[in-house]
Amino acid sequence: MFANSSNLLWRASLRHLGRHPWQMALSILGIALGVAVVVAVDLANESARRAFDHSMQTVTGQATHQIVAGPTGLDEQLYVTLRRSGRLPVSAPVVEGYLAYGEQTLQLLGVDPFAESRFRNLLSHVPAEGEEGLLQRLLTEPGAVLMSRERVEGFGLSVGQPFELWHSGQRRQAVLAGYFEPPPEQRAVLRDLLAADISTAQELLDRMGRLSRIDLILPDTATERLDAIKSLLPVGSRLTPAASRGLAMQEMTRAFSVNLTAMSLLALVVGLFLIYNTLSFSVLQRRELMGQLRVLGATRADLFRLVLGEGLLIGGLGTLLGLLLGILLAQELLQLVTQTINDLYFVLTVRELALTPMGIIKGLLLGVGGSLLAVLVPASEAALSPPRRVQNRSGVEQGARKLLQPFAWSGVILLITAAVLLLLSDSLLFGFIALFVLILGFSLLTPMWVSLICRYSAPLFGRLFGSPGRMAVRGVQASLSRTGVAIAALSIAVATTVGVGVMVDSFRVSVQQWLESSLQADIFISPDAPSGTGYEAALSPAVLQIVERLPGVAGIRMSRPVEIQSGDEIVHLTALRLAAESYAGVQFLQGTPETVWPLFDREQAVIISEPYAYHHGLHAGDTLELETNRGRQPFKIAGVFRDYETEQGVVKMRMPLYQHYWGDKSVYSAWLYLQPGVDVDAVLEKLHRLVGDQQALRIHASKTLREASIKTFDRTFAITHVLRLLVIGVAFVGILSALMALQLEKARELAVLRAMGFTPRQVWGLVTAQTGFMGLISGLLALPLGLVLAGVLIFVVNRRAFGWSMDVVVPGMVLLDAMLLALVAALLAGLYPAWRMSQTSPAQALREE
Amino acid sequence: MRAVIVAFLSIFALTLGWLLLPQSAEKNVSTNVADLLGGVVDAGFERAVQPRSFLFPQDHAAHPGFRSEWWYFTGNLETVEKRRFGFQLVFFRNALKPGEAEGKSLWRSNQSWMAHFALTDAQGEQFHAFERFSRGAMGLAGAQLEPFKVWLDDWSVTEQDGQWVLQAAEVDLSLTLSLISLRPPVLQGEAGLSQKSAAAGNASYYYSIPRLAAEGQVVIEGGKHAVAGMAWLDREWSTSALGEEQAGWDWFSLQLDDGSDLMYYQLRRKDGSPDPHSAGSLVLPDGEVIRLGSKEVRLQPLAYWDSPKGGRYPVRWQLHIPSQKLKLEVAPVLENQELDLLVRYWEGAVDVSGTRTGRAVRGRGYLELAGYAVD
Repeated sequence: MFANSSNLLWRASLRHLGRHPWQMALSILGIALGVAVVVAVDLANESARRAFDHSMQTVTGQATHQIVAGPTGLDEQLYVTLRRSGRLPVSAPVVEGYLAYGEQTLQLLGVDPFAESRFRNLLSHVPAEGEEGLLQRLLTEPGAVLMSRERVEGFGLSVGQPFELWHSGQRRQAVLAGYFEPPPEQRAVLRDLLAADISTAQELLDRMGRLSRIDLILPDTATERLDAIKSLLPVGSRLTPAASRGLAMQEMTRAFSVNLTAMSLLALVVGLFLIYNTLSFSVLQRRELMGQLRVLGATRADLFRLVLGEGLLIGGLGTLLGLLLGILLAQELLQLVTQTINDLYFVLTVRELALTPMGIIKGLLLGVGGSLLAVLVPASEAALSPPRRVQNRSGVEQGARKLLQPFAWSGVILLITAAVLLLLSDSLLFGFIALFVLILGFSLLTPMWVSLICRYSAPLFGRLFGSPGRMAVRGVQASLSRTGVAIAALSIAVATTVGVGVMVDSFRVSVQQWLESSLQADIFISPDAPSGTGYEAALSPAVLQIVERLPGVAGIRMSRPVEIQSGDEIVHLTALRLAAESYAGVQFLQGTPETVWPLFDREQAVIISEPYAYHHGLHAGDTLELETNRGRQPFKIAGVFRDYETEQGVVKMRMPLYQHYWGDKSVYSAWLYLQPGVDVDAVLEKLHRLVGDQQALRIHASKTLREASIKTFDRTFAITHVLRLLVIGVAFVGILSALMALQLEKARELAVLRAMGFTPRQVWGLVTAQTGFMGLISGLLALPLGLVLAGVLIFVVNRRAFGWSMDVVVPGMVLLDAMLLALVAALLAGLYPAWRMSQTSPAQALREE
Repeated sequence: MRAVIVAFLSIFALTLGWLLLPQSAEKNVSTNVADLLGGVVDAGFERAVQPRSFLFPQDHAAHPGFRSEWWYFTGNLETVEKRRFGFQLVFFRNALKPGEAEGKSLWRSNQSWMAHFALTDAQGEQFHAFERFSRGAMGLAGAQLEPFKVWLDDWSVTEQDGQWVLQAAEVDLSLTLSLISLRPPVLQGEAGLSQKSAAAGNASYYYSIPRLAAEGQVVIEGGKHAVAGMAWLDREWSTSALGEEQAGWDWFSLQLDDGSDLMYYQLRRKDGSPDPHSAGSLVLPDGEVIRLGSKEVRLQPLAYWDSPKGGRYPVRWQLHIPSQKLKLEVAPVLENQELDLLVRYWEGAVDVSGTRTGRAVRGRGYLELAGYAVD
């Protein structure tokens, strides 16, 4: 083809894009937002994961294996026996736990400096001026701890100063022996770490005689030595690879991060619609130009490349901008992610954002790759332009209308595919893939629906609003190739909010009902310990005694939640001493109270929560094996109960059974049922007075606890709300850009109307009616899609990710909100184009043609 | 003299043990030795200021009122086929603080322990050295009298049927020896009070058992070797010893075939000259102990070995004591007997040849060279 063709084509292209800066800017913004959300979520997830890895690394050090045991840890004599047997390799004992300084949770790592050198080099971060005599102080002064310099300064402490720490609501006296100043990459991990000698750790954490674990360094090849060590271990303790605990803990947060990623991808999909939309428009706008170029000798391939290039340009710019935005956004999301992890899983401090090359590359690939995909259709369309001087636009639309049926059929096929995917596979990933296929299928069907709605509603709108009404509807139908896409994008965004809204509301209602039935007691007592550290804390025996002797109490339910490592997983086990009043609060999904409780109370049996049953494929009547301090033991599953406490699921057994197998007599919480007529406040007052300052407790009356629980629930879903808003934001930009392009393109048509005597006000009304109509259709279409999405989220995604079921609640408000949202978004987006159109002088618009 | 080793090795190794910062080793040595020598010793410790009466076996056990103490076993062994081994097994105790530890945890202790185990394999031309650290709590390390035992993890010296049994094992290497003392303990210095530098109290209580008949087994590279030979025990406890101007020392423990035993340590000043507090003793075959002062002993290095890690050790010596008509040449069994541990020093088996009162003598012994390592 002719030599300068590509040059010429590009200039034509750039000029076109330059003449429509708004359209261009909005597409870039849309894709940027989409990429930003993906990148932000990815970075936030990755940062949380890294922070977790780092803190595990700090705590594990160079250890390759660990000797661990149940919730009460190991007998310290085991370490001595192993050391003196001469069969232990390089080894170090560890006592760890959590302490609070005011509101701040600090992790205490108690180590034996004499055994540490090969494991962790914590003290390498102590500045030189602080080294003198440090080790002596740590070893010989009770309460001597090391803290990060940042915390030391933040708390206003100085070396040598005594200060108070709290463990399990009990006051502990500590003294600052020194501080460390870690290098920047470790600062976040070490910031909230306290280091101390193992003796100090035992004293501060009240773990006298116990070790949390024994770290070992062993080459992988030393299987013989591993076996030798295993043979020396008492029943109930195990030798495991050092990484296994970290892996098990990370497994807990997997579903959470997958969910976030899926939400972020949704934002990107909406962003991609936008690119598709913009370029389809620009191709349509340039049909004539394309035709002329073809006459001038440009090949189909040239035009294809041209549009592809434009798409890549917009996608590339948008992606770059998105990366920057994403990094900014990630800072905000990180806090939400960390908050959620702390509320639901374990204590994790993440403050630094890990800007990984992989995160950036992923964003780039998704943004540019997605743009490429989105632009394929408009590019092929451009390539199909016949070499003709003048192409009549209605011809284009007619051509597009011919595609309606194939589109609709593909949509149907995709919907069927989605259904098949959902039915065939149990995996969460396939659940998400099906969700996206479903959305895509739906969007392919949208133009047909729009066309149908237009056809049947035109007379209605004519009757309601007169000819402008009819014109508005017909206008939408006449430009179906454009309006269809815009409506699809908006309806997907709105449907997302419907789906997520219905899911969250259903969830919330179910949780609320569950809380109502399970939190029946009048007073709840637990030690005041930081969230995420629950299983370490316990009510002191003195407090328990006070509680048991409190007058006016009809029954006490006591519980001891612990984490035990059984095989490769961490099992959440709760030991229960039920009060007569608490039996009724448990809702069984499998088994009935009459069959379950006798087993639970008398046999070697447990009840398991719904998520636990789901994740492990267990049912009432099956047997569950758990590692106990007395070896692996079988427990009969008496029933499956509804529970939203943890998504990993929980196993509950009666307290005497737990105490028998794990030798742990601690009690974490006590629920009091008062005798009828006893005044809650009077009992509370007496309780406060008797306990005094023996232990800081969290004492709640039932109402406040339920409120606190729901608050935690809402906080957990804060991140979901934020992502939902972001998705709508992207869609809003999409609809704005689509409408602007649409209205600008109709400039001539409107000019004709103006010339025919339409006032600016009437033109404004016409345009607004049209955008309003589009919004209405989007809203209408979004409702069924939204409900389907909600169904998939509730019955597929939630079930697969978390394993819990819920009662579906479709609140009218969510549906109404969605309609309003679509309408308002469309109307807002139409404001500017409408204003501009009404301001155009007809003569000028006509002349421009 | 090895008061420094303990003080300096223990504190320093202890600090390093946790810090593990090789690049800052210099800094730690200086701060800790300065600490030690600057007189900031806790007043709660006892000091070696005047001679005391020794009582055995009680004095074989620990003296926790003093800051540091050690049980230092060295010796030369060989198999029936004359395969030659040298060994060193030493337990260092160092108190972090005087008195009993405060606190409820059983891990609490004011006593820190370090042990070194080295084996010289002359035929294989190999030198192996290991170290261990522990606190003196939970039965992980300690010293006791009834029955006598000093140990750290599974390295130990225990009393069994009137004999001392040494045991130390690493992954592919182990030593088991039973020792019978052939000589009563020899009190070094002034009836056991060994003055290390001018200041009063800068001294240790020091006795040796220069001849311990050893018999046992060496396991190395999968081979088990029945061995027999002669060992030497040095026992010392103190609270402070070296003066600030002292940089290191050369210590000799030599067992001669005419039945005499020589111990001599030369303290080196920072300018390289011998310190006047250098001292030793010669035990004659009849058991008579002759104290040696720095003026009586002339030491001349004959050859050096350069450590690949840095530092130049005088590994071959001429030792001349005109007053005793004793002239000996001391040569290492292997040149490289450097313990490349957290603190680096040279300590190894030596051969001795020369003359005493005109007659040719031969012998074996141990040489320790401290303060030469350069990083």
